[in-house]
Amino acid sequence: MEVLRAADISKNFGGVSAVSEFTMNQKENEITGIIGPNGAGKTTVFNLITGVYPVDSGKILFYDTEITRLPSHRITGLGITRTFQNIRLFRNLNVLDNLRAAYGVKTRYTLWEEMVRFPTVRREERETEDLAKGYLAYFGLEKYSQSFPYNLPYGLQRRLELARALMAKPRLLLLDEPGAGLNPKEIRQLINTLLKIQEEKKLSIIIVEHHMELVMNICKMIHVLNFGKKIAEGNPEEIQKNTMVLQAYLGDQV
Amino acid sequence: MAFYLKVLEITCLFTILVLGAYLMTGLTGLFSLGQGGFVSIGAYTAAIAYVHLHLPFPIALLLAIIMGSIVGFLIGIPTLRLHRDYFLLVTFGFGEMVRAALLHLAQLTGGALGIAGIPQLVGLPMILASIVLITFLISNLKRSRFGRNCIAIRDDELAASLMGINVYGHKMKVFVLSSAITSYGGALYAFLIMFIEPNLFNWLESAKLIIITFVGGVNSITGAIVTSVIYYSFGEFFRFVDVWRDVLLALAVLFVTIFRSGGIFGSWEFSLMKLLLKKGKG
Repeated sequence: MEVLRAADISKNFGGVSAVSEFTMNQKENEITGIIGPNGAGKTTVFNLITGVYPVDSGKILFYDTEITRLPSHRITGLGITRTFQNIRLFRNLNVLDNLRAAYGVKTRYTLWEEMVRFPTVRREERETEDLAKGYLAYFGLEKYSQSFPYNLPYGLQRRLELARALMAKPRLLLLDEPGAGLNPKEIRQLINTLLKIQEEKKLSIIIVEHHMELVMNICKMIHVLNFGKKIAEGNPEEIQKNTMVLQAYLGDQV
Repeated sequence: MAFYLKVLEITCLFTILVLGAYLMTGLTGLFSLGQGGFVSIGAYTAAIAYVHLHLPFPIALLLAIIMGSIVGFLIGIPTLRLHRDYFLLVTFGFGEMVRAALLHLAQLTGGALGIAGIPQLVGLPMILASIVLITFLISNLKRSRFGRNCIAIRDDELAASLMGINVYGHKMKVFVLSSAITSYGGALYAFLIMFIEPNLFNWLESAKLIIITFVGGVNSITGAIVTSVIYYSFGEFFRFVDVWRDVLLALAVLFVTIFRSGGIFGSWEFSLMKLLLKKGKG
């Protein structure tokens, strides 16, 4: 069963072709990696999938729903959530509320019920809080629940962003450089966490990453981008041997 | 005594307007200089309904709220897609447009002469009850999904939409709600002051609403209310310092923005429940 099918998606910014005719199929319960040098268009692929920019051409399907022209919040509502390369937490919401904010898409009460704090609101708010506290405990962030996110150490901010992306109960999780700025120990922790989450939640995950240890360890499939074009795809061993990939990363042999 | 009562009434009335601005500028970060437009729309709708159309007072108030919401919705459609400074400019233009329209639609509005002979049907009890009710509604919104969405949008629109928040739709709800509250405040104004004219609330007054919200603290309803009460009553009680009044206020604003950028109250909220619980424990 394919979770996501992107067919020939392209995006130009002015004269620059950021992504051109990129195709990928994401299988259920698998972790896939997208790698490539800086500026290869990896993050743009995420932005196209999540509706941040409209695609110039091509088609994106989530299960059987076409999401090509949908606004971001609808795509999230369908079950695709993501993290960001540069952490984007809500600075004026405390850690607990950052998680609760991401669950709003799942709550059902109306504005009128909310105004008078109807019993349904109390109940759903309690559910939201329990769920959020569960994730805080899972990621070892309980004692920070009332802190503001940018007072947390960098590694914990990354974890909080991951927790926030999980709040809305996604079926597909997009992680944009989850290992950026983490030390080797934290990277190993992250690898274990991701494998555990994937297993427990039956999630499909796509990771954009520079960190080879991380990608090679957990991804079943890897797509390699260079200058917006896919130059290779395959399992980690195939990618490591691929001469095109080596060239893209290290340059031509003299 | 009558003087103090009057000051209190007007202070409380303006506090209702501050609450409307709080929702929009404080919580959601939409800077609007058009609040005055909604005050006028509310005041004129209610006054015309009562004086010219001889509708009962409660209906006149209701009409003001409905009219404010509808206009808010219509103005919101094009403007809420704009970014900060553009939104500010367009709402500024809207406020001034309402003023000009009221001046020129003389047959309906009395033009520059305004509408006189409105009976005084609003007193302190009603205004206070309104503040309590509106504060209750807004604080309920603030502490659940609605409020979190507002703050998320203020902090980072892109991240908010990727967390499943319909940014445009949510801003629309905020805008209409704020317009409704502000128009209601305007209607109360008409029946308290008994006379309205097109210049009753110009853009400078709208700007003051924003300033009060910021000085009080964008994350605190308590801050908005307390600062509003101090600001508007201060002006009346310190008339003897004359022009220095504005200088003092400007200095206060300056000091707050430099030394306490989160506003005087930060994100602290007064809570009756917590107070009672503390007393119970002690």
